[in-house]
Order: sequence, then C-alpha cells, then structure tokens
Amino acid sequence: MSELPEAGPWHRRDTDAIPTRYRHANPEPLDGDFVGDRGRVFGLAVRTGILTVLTLGIYRFWMKTRLRRFYWSAVRFGGVPAEYLGDPLEKLLGFLFAVVILAFYIGVVNLVLMFLSFSLFQDNFAAYLLSFVGVVPLWFYARYRARRYVLARTRWRGIRFGLEPGAWGYAWRAIGYWFLTIISAGLLWPLMTFQLEKYRTNRTWYGDCQLTQEGRWTLLFPALRHVLLAVLIAVGSVFVGLNGTPLAFGVTALCVPWFAYGLAYYRAKSFERLTNGKRAGDVVFLSKPRPMRVFGIYGFGLALSGFVASFFLVPLGLALVAVLGAMLGFEDEAAMSFDLMTSGSLTVIGILSYFTFFLSWAALTHTFVTLPLWAHFTETLTVVDPGSLEAIRQRPRDEFDEAEGFAEALDVGAGI
Amino acid sequence: MSGIIPTVPHEALRGVYFDAQSAVAQDVRLVVDSGAQQLVLRGEAVDVAWRFEDIRLVPDQAGQGGLVLRSASDPEARLLTAHRELAEAFPARRRRVIGVERGRIACWALAAVASVALIVFVLVPTMANQLARFIPPEGEKALGDATLTQIRGALGDNSQSGIRLCTGHEGTKAFAALATKLSANVALPVPVTVTVLDHRMVNAFALPGGHIVFMRGLLEAADRPEEVAAVFAHEMGHVASRDPTRHALRSAGSIGVLGLLFGDFAGGALVLFLTEQLIEAQYSQGAESDADVFAYEVLAEAGIPPSALGSMFERFKATSGAAKGITAHFLSHPSLAERIEAARAATPEGFVAKPILSDAQWSALKAICGPSR
Repeated sequence: MSELPEAGPWHRRDTDAIPTRYRHANPEPLDGDFVGDRGRVFGLAVRTGILTVLTLGIYRFWMKTRLRRFYWSAVRFGGVPAEYLGDPLEKLLGFLFAVVILAFYIGVVNLVLMFLSFSLFQDNFAAYLLSFVGVVPLWFYARYRARRYVLARTRWRGIRFGLEPGAWGYAWRAIGYWFLTIISAGLLWPLMTFQLEKYRTNRTWYGDCQLTQEGRWTLLFPALRHVLLAVLIAVGSVFVGLNGTPLAFGVTALCVPWFAYGLAYYRAKSFERLTNGKRAGDVVFLSKPRPMRVFGIYGFGLALSGFVASFFLVPLGLALVAVLGAMLGFEDEAAMSFDLMTSGSLTVIGILSYFTFFLSWAALTHTFVTLPLWAHFTETLTVVDPGSLEAIRQRPRDEFDEAEGFAEALDVGAGI
Repeated sequence: MSGIIPTVPHEALRGVYFDAQSAVAQDVRLVVDSGAQQLVLRGEAVDVAWRFEDIRLVPDQAGQGGLVLRSASDPEARLLTAHRELAEAFPARRRRVIGVERGRIACWALAAVASVALIVFVLVPTMANQLARFIPPEGEKALGDATLTQIRGALGDNSQSGIRLCTGHEGTKAFAALATKLSANVALPVPVTVTVLDHRMVNAFALPGGHIVFMRGLLEAADRPEEVAAVFAHEMGHVASRDPTRHALRSAGSIGVLGLLFGDFAGGALVLFLTEQLIEAQYSQGAESDADVFAYEVLAEAGIPPSALGSMFERFKATSGAAKGITAHFLSHPSLAERIEAARAATPEGFVAKPILSDAQWSALKAICGPSR
C-alpha cells in the first residue's frame, strides 16, 4: 500500500488554477473554533432529557432542537458562529406526517407478511426478513431527507445551506455500495464512503454557491490501513495459534484495540481527505484532525459514560433480584406475603433506574464524546482561502414541511 | 442602561451585522436611543433601527462572551455584539419568535391520531379476522408453536430451552381421556394439543393451531377434575372461534405501529406494553363471554354441570382478589363475579352429573409435573 503525502490532496492541489474574479492577493484564512463547554451541554442534556421522559417522549423534538442550537452556535469560523433555525413544532409536524404513512406500512404490511410467511413457509423468519428488507431503502431515504432538513435550517453569516432533493437516488446508491462493501469483505468500504459523500456534497449549496467534491475514491484507501492490518494480523495469529503456538493468541488479543484504533483512524483520515477535496466555488478548506485524539475521545468518553451510567442500573438489578427471589427462592409462603405494595414499589424503582440510566448515558456521551469530537474536528479545520465568500448571495427558504419526520419515526441515528 | 443613569444618545458601541441577503459581515456602530426606545445600527451600507420591544436573544447560544440578537420585525437579519450589558434594555428579549402556525400542527396531530387509531383499532383487527380464516392448518400450527416457544422462553428465566414441559406418563393419559370425553360432540377447526407448563401461576390459555396450555398452578389449585374440565372447555371455545390466531396476527401488525409512535427512548417499551395490554383486554371481553357460553354447552354434553366453571373462577378470585376498575381491564377478563353468576345460571335445575375422571386418573393428572412440592 503506497502512502500518499501526509496532508492529503491539499498540497497537491493548485489553488491558483481555480478561476476567480475575487481572488485576494493574500488570502486570510478563517480558523475554526469551538466555544461550547462541557458543563453547559451536560446541563442542557439532563434538563431536556428529564422533560422528554416526563412528556412520554413528546419533548424530544424540543430537546433535539435546543441541543442543535447549542452545538451549531459553538462552531465558529473567523469568529462568526453558525446558527440552527429548526422549529421544534415543525419537527413534530413532520413526525406526525411520517407516522400517518408509516403506521399504514408497518401495520398492514407486517400483518400480511406474517400471514403469508406462516401460510407458505410455516415459519416467521421470512416475514421478519422481508419486513426488515422493506425498511432498508426507507432508512437511507430518511437519512437523506433528514440531512436536507438540517442543512436547510443551518445558517452561517446569515446565509442558508441547502441540499437538493434526491433521497431515492441516494437510497439506491447506498444499498448498492453497501452490497459491494459486504461482498468485498470491507475492502470497498472507502468506495462507499467516497461515493455517498460525493453524492451529498455535489447536491449541497451554501447560498447560491454549489459545493463540489473532488478527488477519487482511492484517496480514502490509505485511511483503511490500520483496520486492514489489524484484521490480517489477527487472522494470521489465530492460524499460527491453532497450529501449536498458543503464544500467538496474545497477538490476536492486541489486534482488538488496534482494530478499534483503526476505526478511529478511518473516521479522522477519511474526514480529512474528503474535506480537503471539497470546494465551494473558490472557497477551499484544510482539515488536520489527529487520529490518536479521536481514538482517545471515543475510548475514554464511552468507557467513562458506560461506567458512570451503569451505576444507575444497580437499583434495577436489585429490584429484579428481589422479585425473582420472591418468585423462586421461597415459593409458597413468601410468595403469598409478597404483596402488591412491595411489587409496586419495586416496579417504580425499576422504572426510575431504567430511565436514569438512559438519561445519564445520553448526557454523558454528549459531554464526553459528541462535544469533544465536534470541538476537535472544528478546531482542526480552517477555511484556508475564503475566496469570493463575500460575493455569495442568499438562497430561497426550503419549506420542507415533512422536516425529518421519517428519520425521527424510524429512529435513524443521525448523531444529534 | 438600567434607567438610573441617564443614557447619552449616540453612545458608540460596535457590532457585526448580517443582512441575510449576502454573506458580507458588515461592521456597524450601535446607537442606543433610549428616547425613541430603539437600537440604531449604522455602517457603510447599513442603516437600520430595531425597536427595543422587538429585539430577541437567539436562544441556547454556546458562546457566553457576547450577544446574538434578532428582531421580530426582520426575523432573518442578525446582530453580533460583544456588549452583553446591552441585553438589559430589551424587555422582550426572551420571548419566542413564532415560526409554524399552531392551527396546522393541531390539524396534523388530529389526522395522525385518527389514522393511527383507525389502523390499530379497525384496519388491523378487520384484516386479522379475515386472514385468520384463510391461514392453512399447518401455518396456524407453526404460528402456535412459535408463540409457545416465545412464552416458554419468557417465563423460564435462565434456562436455554425455557420453562419445563410436564410429561408425566399417567398424567398425560388422564389428560387425553379428559380431552376425548369433552370433544366427543364438538367439531373444532383443528385438533387440540394439550401442554402443561411447570409454573406456579394459576392460569391456562389457548394458542393458534389448537394449542391449549395449562400451568401447573391451576392443576394444583383445582379441587375436582370437573373444574379442570371446565377451564378446558372454555379454552376449546377460544380454539373454535380462532381467537388466538386472530390475536397473534393482530399483534404482529399493531405492536410495530405503537412502537413507531412512542419511540425507543423514554421507555417506549413500557408504554408499548401497557397499550398492547389495553387492546388485548378490549378484544378479550367479548371473546371471553363467547368462550364461556361455548363451554356451558360442551360441559353439559359431557355430563358436567356448567357451574364447575364458576367454582374454578372462585379460585381465581381467592388467589388474585376480585379485580375492579382499571385493574379488571388489564386482567383481560370480564368481572369474575359476573361470570361465576352466569355459570351458575347456565346450570339447569336437577342436572344429573356424571364423573369425568376416576380418582386414580385425577391424582395422576395432578401429579403430571412430578411429586407435588
């Protein structure tokens, strides 16, 4: 695997070749900066999370909107914060719209599939499989639509972003590239990353200026090297180990954290190379995230969040043990005296601990994973040449009533 | 700006203004005009006045070093300034700027609730009822087997294969004798399969494909074979009307819809469970009474007084207490007292009872799960 120059395509690109009427003699770079602090995002996540639980999930539209406003406003280039302008009610509306359509699909289609599956195959496997397969294109469709909504509600320097319609095209391509990735045992993963990013980027606008993704998919291949090497060496060491050298299994064990590092490395490097290959007219970027830092944030953040949040599961565990003990251990007399009061209070303890677990997990991952990642990727990103940024004009508002209802209803995890 | 110190008009402050037309950052001087109650923004190509009462803070800002301001009169433009103390002058700074019409939200909310209700309570049940008639016997049997495996897994806490089946030899024969006597004069859509689960719950239920499932607790609680026969006859009623098949098909449809509505976070699982119970209970009320009526006939044909069903209900009542109100709804059966009364009323005057099982068969049946504990 040959190595490309360290900073990626940026150094190889001849920026002077980009034609511009507004070229500055000495471009003044706009440095990225992230001003959000952990305490505030933790407080915001906890408060909105509690409200979400209390309102049986209705407040989640407000929760997401408020968190986005916070994150967006923390991102600054050249000192100017971005702004998120989504309206929670608009999100609620889109969700209701999606529910009407999906309720029909999920209710009726699942029922018919279950019937056919049992009638024809005497089994429900076919029904689950088809039901899942039927949702896959919808899932990618929803992701694209969600991105369109979020970009349409994002502004920087007063100018809106936008994404052209094209959700079905995206869904088919995503399925195709996923298929290629799976049958190539992951070797074509960079192809998928690149082509999907290109599809999205080439349809993205900032005001009246269209973005373009340059480069080729092979650009991302070196980013995969740690994943590939870790897998190859793990497989090799298992083979050696099975042939009578048990020590080789020690090498296999080391490949696990290496593989995890490889994933972080891919995340950081693919972001770097894709961003450096993006262009908005004559505006160009330079990204230099540090893979080790990304790995550290994931490792430390997830471990800490999991460790702390799991404390809240202890009461739930104790309640379960108490219920099981009463049911199994002391069968008859104790079971009779195990009255409704005790079981009621144990249920309440169980539910409370279940909710606090999810709440604390969400708040902690915001604090120790999402926010530090955003901070790192923003702070290592520079608009190296603002080019003719000042000539960019506003684009019309994309009304998009459906908002990200489908993504919300299908629970498509789109970060925040 | 608190009003104690008179503010000098034309006091010069600085800010950056974005007009939402171009990406140009325009440097502006800010003039706080307390007399006219407005903030005047002046720059090279800017001359704007925002009334104090129109000025809003853009909410949830991460940066605490300055202000991001907007005006209700010009909702797109933004003013960024480092002078935080300015905020004091704007009385309505925390008020919201309304984006989406409330009326449209209400319309969509109503439409969504109505259509989901229509799908869950009308469309899915109707389709389930129709499809249940067309499902071939082997398919129905497979559906029942799958459901039984699920139930065994859910009740058996740790073991791989789920809760144990009771297969005592003599007990199985006694059960078969009981089943033969009861079904002698009844035409059922599918042959009945009896299963006994080793669990202390006082319960019995029917599953698709002619499965009738007893829990050990019910056999132990019963005093006479006639009481077990009565429950058996009741479950045969469910098999005859294919209630379990309908219910299984129906929950395949409705569970997904409800999961969709409530989302996963915030314990969607809990709401889902309660709602599903509510639907099931509503469905069962009518079906239970029909199964009772079916049981009276089957019992009378086999020479057992229908009141035996009533005495079994007495035992349910003794173990769980008479449930009323919302709890009764969740127990998915019409009030037990009413059903006991109905079972007594269904027994004709001077009914001649025949014993259904011998004493030996009865003790074998009770010991089907092995020595009693």
